[in-house]
Amino acid sequence: MAKDTSEAATQDRSSRPLPRRGLERLDLMLLCMEALDLNGGEAMVWMSEQLGYAALFPNRVELWKRRCHNPLRRSCRRGEVPVAETDALIRILCVMADRLYPMLRSLLSSSEPESVAKERWALFQGRLGELIQERMNPRRSGVQKLLDPNDGAAQRLQLVQGLSLCAGQGGFERIKASLMDAVA
Amino acid sequence: MVQSSVMKQSLVFDQLSCRLQVEGLPDVSIGQSGAALGIITGWSLQWVGRPLLEGRREHLQALMQVVLPYARHLISGVRREFSVAGEPVDIGPHPDGGHRLLLRSSQPDTPPLEMHLDDAELADLVRVLDLLRLDPRVQLPLAIPDPEPLGPRELMERIPLHRRLSAPVGGAAALAVSAALVLLLPPPAVPPAPTPAAPAAVEAPSTPRP
Repeated sequence: MAKDTSEAATQDRSSRPLPRRGLERLDLMLLCMEALDLNGGEAMVWMSEQLGYAALFPNRVELWKRRCHNPLRRSCRRGEVPVAETDALIRILCVMADRLYPMLRSLLSSSEPESVAKERWALFQGRLGELIQERMNPRRSGVQKLLDPNDGAAQRLQLVQGLSLCAGQGGFERIKASLMDAVA
Repeated sequence: MVQSSVMKQSLVFDQLSCRLQVEGLPDVSIGQSGAALGIITGWSLQWVGRPLLEGRREHLQALMQVVLPYARHLISGVRREFSVAGEPVDIGPHPDGGHRLLLRSSQPDTPPLEMHLDDAELADLVRVLDLLRLDPRVQLPLAIPDPEPLGPRELMERIPLHRRLSAPVGGAAALAVSAALVLLLPPPAVPPAPTPAAPAAVEAPSTPRP
């Protein structure tokens, strides 16, 4: 009986769409992937086809339209994104994080020389900053905080750490549960 | 990678900083055979430059029961201790940054082993545990809690206690100071009560003068 209740709760949760805050974090994590991989946008489209999501995202515009549900975007779209589409985006994120895991790991490792680590973070911060300035609404305080070299450091570290922990097949449930978090 | 000798199976999962090796047998009593692993007889976790960890199935399960929920909470930015009552493994944030993995030995007179992991080593550990639990050859139930969305109370833990308390304590202090200042103010002067008018002199009844 208790198991049935737990299974029902899990099923109910998996059928709920992502909240706005979850969509925001998902898009920011995908943006981090693009900052790590210069060809990340193309890789995302290719990955979507490889994973069999060509029907959900037949072209890059459709993929971009789903990501535009991020409230921090310059051209933000309203409404909910269907669960199948957010799940597909999360799967793409996990596979890309798995592919770029060595880069994520090198950013997080404390065994690297400090000068090398600083250079890596500066490069990542620069690329992420460019992408954010290009696509996000600079009047939003969340965007300003992310662009701030000091205030945004903790948030950037959390995004990279989150990506390293959701990389691979095992990360899907973890990152999905995290994106479904309540608003604090 | 699989190494087998007759029935014994050995699964090896590698990452840059650690290697997990699990040894076991197929559970023939429930019809398992070949490459299946239904009984874990032992495991070892080898870290670069750290002591080798070894244990039984219960220890491996205890490790998974704390490390995987800890990783799930970290994705949401919640850094807190994880332990299961009576189990030999604890994990939590290290005061100097990174993560503290505490392993208590079941051997008497053996002090607990504390390991300081950085973010990359923790990610490697999570990956080897994921590889193990999702390996189709591992055919035994591992009781690991499903990742759940966090509620507002748990998310509040992201904010340090002093910052969480600063607003209400500051508000209460401001209220107390204002109340004290108000009490120090002299009470407004009471206007003098109007004196009752002097009663009019009662005139003696005029008597007709003669």
